Amino acid sequence: MHPSLLQDSVRGCPKEIPHNEKLLSLKYESLDYDNSENQLFLEEERRMSFLGFKCLEISRWVICGLIGFLTGLIACCIDIAVENLAGVKYYVVKQNIEKFTEVGGLSISLILWAVLNSAFVMLGAVIVAFFEPGAAGSGIPQIKCYLNGVKIPRVVRLKTLVVKVCGVICSVAGGLAVGKEGPMIHSGAVVAAGVSQGRSTSLKKDFKIFEYFRRDTEKRDFVSAGAAAGVSAAFGAPVGGVLFSLEEGASFWNQMLTWRIFFASMISTFTLNFFLSIYNNKPGDLSSPGLINFGRFESDVSVCLLLSSPKPCGLLGALFNILNYWLTIFRIRYVHRPCLQVMEAMLVAAVTATVSFAMIYFSNDCQPLGPDQSEDYPLQLFCADGEYNSMATAFFNTPERSVRSLFHNPPGRLFYNPLTLSLFTLTYFFLACWTYGLTVSAGVFIPSLLIGAHRTLARLVSIMFVCRSLSQVWAVPGKYAFNGSCRGIVRMTLSLTVIMVEATGNVTYGLPIMLVLLTAKIVGDYFVEGLYDIHIKLQSVPFLHLEAPATSHWLTAREVMGAPVTCFNRIEKVGTIVDVLSNTSTNHNLGKICGLILRSQLIVLLKHKVRELARSRLTQRKLQLKDFRDAYPRFPPIQSIHVSQDERECMMDLTEFMNPTPYTVPQETSLPRVFKLFRALGLRHLVVVDSENRVVGLVTRKDLARYHLGKHGLEEMQLAQT
Amino acid sequence: MYIFQVVALLIALLYYGNAQTSTVAVNHTILGSELSADGLKQLAAIVAPQSPVFHPSRGSYFSLNLLSAFPEDLEVSDYCVELLAIFGQRYSTYVNCLVSAARPVKVCQNCYGSYDNLMDIYTNISSDQMGPGNVSCRDSLLRSDRLMLVFLLYNNLEDIWTGSECNSCVSLGLHSLTNDTLYFMATLNQSLRCFEKFQQGNHSALCKECKATYRGLNELYSRMEKNRTLCIDIEDSMNMTRRLWSKNFNCSFPRAENVPVIAVSSFMLFLPIIFYLSSFLHSEQKKRKLIHRE
Repeated sequence: MHPSLLQDSVRGCPKEIPHNEKLLSLKYESLDYDNSENQLFLEEERRMSFLGFKCLEISRWVICGLIGFLTGLIACCIDIAVENLAGVKYYVVKQNIEKFTEVGGLSISLILWAVLNSAFVMLGAVIVAFFEPGAAGSGIPQIKCYLNGVKIPRVVRLKTLVVKVCGVICSVAGGLAVGKEGPMIHSGAVVAAGVSQGRSTSLKKDFKIFEYFRRDTEKRDFVSAGAAAGVSAAFGAPVGGVLFSLEEGASFWNQMLTWRIFFASMISTFTLNFFLSIYNNKPGDLSSPGLINFGRFESDVSVCLLLSSPKPCGLLGALFNILNYWLTIFRIRYVHRPCLQVMEAMLVAAVTATVSFAMIYFSNDCQPLGPDQSEDYPLQLFCADGEYNSMATAFFNTPERSVRSLFHNPPGRLFYNPLTLSLFTLTYFFLACWTYGLTVSAGVFIPSLLIGAHRTLARLVSIMFVCRSLSQVWAVPGKYAFNGSCRGIVRMTLSLTVIMVEATGNVTYGLPIMLVLLTAKIVGDYFVEGLYDIHIKLQSVPFLHLEAPATSHWLTAREVMGAPVTCFNRIEKVGTIVDVLSNTSTNHNLGKICGLILRSQLIVLLKHKVRELARSRLTQRKLQLKDFRDAYPRFPPIQSIHVSQDERECMMDLTEFMNPTPYTVPQETSLPRVFKLFRALGLRHLVVVDSENRVVGLVTRKDLARYHLGKHGLEEMQLAQT
Repeated sequence: MYIFQVVALLIALLYYGNAQTSTVAVNHTILGSELSADGLKQLAAIVAPQSPVFHPSRGSYFSLNLLSAFPEDLEVSDYCVELLAIFGQRYSTYVNCLVSAARPVKVCQNCYGSYDNLMDIYTNISSDQMGPGNVSCRDSLLRSDRLMLVFLLYNNLEDIWTGSECNSCVSLGLHSLTNDTLYFMATLNQSLRCFEKFQQGNHSALCKECKATYRGLNELYSRMEKNRTLCIDIEDSMNMTRRLWSKNFNCSFPRAENVPVIAVSSFMLFLPIIFYLSSFLHSEQKKRKLIHRE
């Protein structure tokens, strides 16, 4: 044998390596955002009257309103359910503690608390791990990828929504160090994807409306609206929601889309506000625009101190991300069986309860109750009568309540003394770092706020000031805490700034917040990326960033593209098509750049053809666009279509169904230029042609996402099977 | 023509001189005579629209520049002036009572009578009914100027009354304290007597003997808290008693269970370590198959 051939075969043997972040998975495809303008589509456009177009536009608005309304309702349900469940749990534990404080046997209370926590979290983890693993985590990385154009499997299904909502209720009621904001965004996106299609594939019900929108193009736009509605319901920040969607998803600036997204967000926050006011028996109060409520902050002159906290925050955020990164890698490599994942979640819940109990038990900090704390569960434990353990207000509460009490404590009462605060911060930091990445539905925003809020020096300084002088200048330490919150963890700068400004209700804080965020981001980015980006990379998703990596102009399309490309003739034998589809798993293109056809389209064609041949000639009918739309989004695999020998010999005319005008680039186009075109238009395939317009290769998402700027210049990621 | 102007000027001068002398005469008459309260009121009716309620010294009154006379329909009628005087008296009585009951707080028990009186007179003033002579005191006393002093003063006191939640302790109609309040006071007195008995010597004896009464008091207080029949008097007295019990006599529970709690906590903290170690050692590491491009 020729020695080079031998070498080739050895080199061609696939290696196996442990999972790391520098891999790209093959299982992620792009969304078909670019419309396939075949003859069927053009005919439909011609047939539609002006009135028809107007109706479409109006139905888009109606759908966006409906999305906002349903998202607000879901947020309301989550909030009420968590409040009630957590209320029951804390009530039971509190009764138990009060019974045993005098008599002795507090370790039984500890065990009871741990068991209750584990029970709730076990339920949440079981439904996520066994029924829908796609609902794990906060959901923001998945939605970011979806808006980027990656088709994450099962991310916008009804089952995912149900599992996510139940999961987040169980996680928060189970006392984990988590928030419910991230899952809210994911839920909003799923609601949008479901409502805009006018049918439910899981429940097999078709309402026969919105059939025009059964395409990836429209669906992705509606999912942006849903994500914005989710953000707005979670934080009470509609504009922040719009900016989040645009920051993550917008390929190009579409003004009507922005309008509709804004409409959906507004409706969402208003619905939530309205129903929560009714639930709290204060209709017309309209004081809870979001799931998390910071209350109102008044302007104050002392803004300079706000800027002193970003450096430590950036560093802390970087530390959090690094720890979480190593933990996630460990989990992916070693804790991958569902039973193990459930057990891990239960252990985390039990340890959270244990740590909280120990902190409360050994704390000597006693403070009298304030007038505005009737809903909390004050624990007296070993304090004097009339005073209550202040560690308990931090630990013996859902994280949202802790945040609210922290930001709105009248400083004269000195509710949190520095020792209590520091201990709480440290504990919560490690708990939150440990909890994120578990196989439960949970977000990380509230924990990061709590950590940063406690840690900021300004808060401690302000408390000391109040100790000494009781002056009103530092009267509201809450807002310094707020500003220093570790947004060094999450790093979505623009949308986060606006969300914060809207949540505090005071535009005066806009500039300090923005500066702090930017500084924290710069400091943190020096060490490590944002948390969601880390998780996206660890899932090996081919994520396209805003721009191509710098210094990549020397790469051309020819080096980047995938070749060879499978070609069909215009009129092709059925047998050939079936063989090609069965053999490989990529999508194909057609001819001497006559056009582009997708695997999904070919499968629908084959199915229809086979069915047609089975019937008699009289009842044959032409394939309509409706048939493609009905098959969307879950196209059957090629194995489910049975083609007999006779049928294999028939010819199929692909002219009507192919996309006759796909985007093409010449071979010598540089990588940044290809990248810009690909990302701006949301393409799935980009055909590379030579000077005679012959197909040379095909650029897909994986080809572009492979290149990134590493520590030693341009690096290429490897593809792996996951 | 020239003569006409001179004559007009002379006449104007004459009138001005007359006016001056007449006011001077008024001033002299005021300074000269002995004035009674009635006299003052009459003068006030002529010279000023409002009269001071409290009896000021002559000196302070005359320091006001009341040389102009307001027409009759802007004056306050006598009836209203009387009402205002009564209001002032009752106001100062109530405030005196409040201040003397400030610490320890007994504002509800001691002062509900005065508040009742004050409320009566104010309702009278602010009612829509016309008094004798067809005058409504409400507009003239309460709403005639920017300050609205009477309204402000009464509202402040009303806020104090509402803030101390005295309505929960005093029966409707403000005639007496409620039964609950009286019962609480009796129980409280019982506990305090018990404290006094055992105050000398070792506090541990006190803690043991008075525990039952103190517990009873606490439970009664919690019940009243749930029913919301608390007023500031009860809250404060309870607060003081609790402070006595916990801080002065040191009778609250000590932390006695350190060892079991630490043991259980360490066990719980140990479990995850075992879990991770075992999964590290026993699970198969998930490997990824690399795909090479041709």
